[in-house]
Amino acid sequence: MNFESLNTSLQFLKPEIAVSILLVVVVLFDLIFQNNKKALPVISITGLLVTGYFIIEQFTLNGYAFNLLTADAFGAFFKLIVALSAIFVILFSISSSEIIRCEDRQGEYYTLILGMVLGMFLISSATDLILIYLSIELLSLSSYILAGFVKTVERDSEASLKYVIYGGVASGVMLFGISIIYGLTGSTNLYTINSILQSAQLGGFTFIFAGFMVLSGIGFKISIAPFHFWTPDVYEGAPITITAFLSVASKAAGFALLVRFIKITFFDSMSESGYWILLNVIDWQSLLVLLSILTMTLGNFAALWQENLKRMLAYSSIAHAGYLLLAVAVLSNEGLIAVLVYFSIYLFMNLGAFFVVMLIANKIGSEDVDDYKGLGSSVSFLGVALAIFLLSLAGLPPTAGFIAKLYLFIALIDANMVTVAIIALLNTVVAYYYYVRVLKNLYLVRKEVEMEPVGVSFGNKIIILLLLIPVLVFGIYFTPIVNLAKSSIAFIGF
Amino acid sequence: MQIPIEYYLILSAFMFSVGVVGVLTRRNAIVVFMCVELMLNSANLTLITYSSYLGDTVGQLFVFFVMAVAAAEAAVGLAIIIAIFRNKLTINIDEINILKW
Amino acid sequence: MLTEFGKIFVFFLTAIIFVVIALFVAKLIRPSRPTKEKLTTYECGENPEGSPWVKFNIRFYVVALIFLIFDVEVVMLIPWAVVYQQLGFVGYLLGAIFLILLGVGMAYEWRKGDLEWARPKIEEPIFTKSIPPPEIQKKLTLTE
Repeated sequence: MNFESLNTSLQFLKPEIAVSILLVVVVLFDLIFQNNKKALPVISITGLLVTGYFIIEQFTLNGYAFNLLTADAFGAFFKLIVALSAIFVILFSISSSEIIRCEDRQGEYYTLILGMVLGMFLISSATDLILIYLSIELLSLSSYILAGFVKTVERDSEASLKYVIYGGVASGVMLFGISIIYGLTGSTNLYTINSILQSAQLGGFTFIFAGFMVLSGIGFKISIAPFHFWTPDVYEGAPITITAFLSVASKAAGFALLVRFIKITFFDSMSESGYWILLNVIDWQSLLVLLSILTMTLGNFAALWQENLKRMLAYSSIAHAGYLLLAVAVLSNEGLIAVLVYFSIYLFMNLGAFFVVMLIANKIGSEDVDDYKGLGSSVSFLGVALAIFLLSLAGLPPTAGFIAKLYLFIALIDANMVTVAIIALLNTVVAYYYYVRVLKNLYLVRKEVEMEPVGVSFGNKIIILLLLIPVLVFGIYFTPIVNLAKSSIAFIGF
Repeated sequence: MQIPIEYYLILSAFMFSVGVVGVLTRRNAIVVFMCVELMLNSANLTLITYSSYLGDTVGQLFVFFVMAVAAAEAAVGLAIIIAIFRNKLTINIDEINILKW
Repeated sequence: MLTEFGKIFVFFLTAIIFVVIALFVAKLIRPSRPTKEKLTTYECGENPEGSPWVKFNIRFYVVALIFLIFDVEVVMLIPWAVVYQQLGFVGYLLGAIFLILLGVGMAYEWRKGDLEWARPKIEEPIFTKSIPPPEIQKKLTLTE
């Protein structure tokens, strides 16, 4: 290796390098100026904005770095989503009463968030099984600690313990699958594995088994049905900011990895209308359709009788993972566009819903749906915002959530998967019930105790508006995100 | 005489199964962690086996990374167990049950 | 004809038989005059106190965790050292970055006080004339 090859590789790693430097800077700043905790979020956000600039630069790039990662528009899109949600989560953390209570450990908090961001950046562009495993672990280890960040509260440490046990098992299973794939193909690079699969007949039970093991590791990250057990517990126990981050960014990175893993490893050829013809090793389409139907049905029905709003949103995020998985299962460019559009809208509406829940919980000290009874008039602005976010999550027409679902259903029907589309549609109808129940409690149930109006500070109002405006605008004027999605499905090598 | 590769693979599959069964049946959080480590180590054994069988060093390199990651995971896990012990004075998984359904 | 496993087995067998015979012969020829003092567990000359199966202080865990992390991270240097000759100056830089980051981690632990052996804080009771001592306070609240 010489300087030149190192230099060309590093050109493609600018966002990752920026985040790593930012992480070290935050650690050092926390060590040197121990009493200045207020500056930490400012530094982190500034650094992430710089990173965002490098990511936008990456949309036009195309290349490999060290044969481990690729820099392409697809990865850049997901990195943008991760960076955006990280910025929002840091903004949330400034006013979260849970985080403020752990005043002496603020430095760790922002460092670990940046660690998660770095892990997710690497996940969304990794093309080598070693790097995939390492980046998943980097993400997991940081999020285990963050889930139990408020360590004096029983609920937090329990969530963290459950997360670390389930996560450890999932990564163990995935690693075993990776080791078998390495043994069968003699390589850990996805492109090399693809060319070996194309030339040799490597079907057989062992390879399917190994593929399924790797899928279970990825499925754990995106919380699809048989691997979802940790999701409700961790989402309920963790601080709300972390729950919001896990539900958006970690899921986005997981989906990027899933799509990349399937599309690169098992790719055979591209049909004229943009459908991917995969190698006849594993029947991904039926497997994914099966898992996604299981996921969305389970998520939606379990959400029906949740009392805790955070837990309800956890199940709703499982259901959303189901819809997204369905879009992946179409295995076409159109399905991929649907995934990207869905994520860019899901980012705003889900983060918004969690933020409003957090602000209300800061005031009334509870996340129970029953405690929302009659709050409508005292939380005027927050209530309206929550209503819009929840209706958007449900997928009602004037909001952006409708557009996300619309693209999903168009992709499904174009691929002649009408039965599946009908099942998904029925699921959306079920979902209305639990979203609307919250709103019913807010506005239609009589107030039991008089409450003082819950005020919102100016800064928080701005943050809510930043999330609210895209949800409303993209519902009507959605050409920009669709165009962005269309230009971001370019993979390197295909 | 060379020991056939199957023996190593059967041993590692057996270790993996012991790990999985241990995770599912054991009730002490620390023992559960030991079982998770066993799963990771069985994967390590597979990697080393294939690496020497294929004459390829990538597998051995991977094992170094896995070892480092496993140590980090054990450290994080033990720290979390200490945190939960301070709160509840137990590390029995059956009694850690305030979050359910 | 022995297989590779067979040789190892014979080796094990020899080791076990040797130890058993040695212990047995020693038992035959040594004098045996047990007293109460001799039968107690040896604890560096001190009188043994309590059962050895006590729970260890939680502070040992912190030390163990720190040791575990830094001990195993250094394993990453082995593959680096193997190819160091071919890498030249770039390799030197990469290794230096790795070690600097480890150093930052070490500095972090030091500064946060995790390397200190945490001593329990003994809070001295402070009495002033206006506030009655805690025992009397307790009594007062009980009578109310």
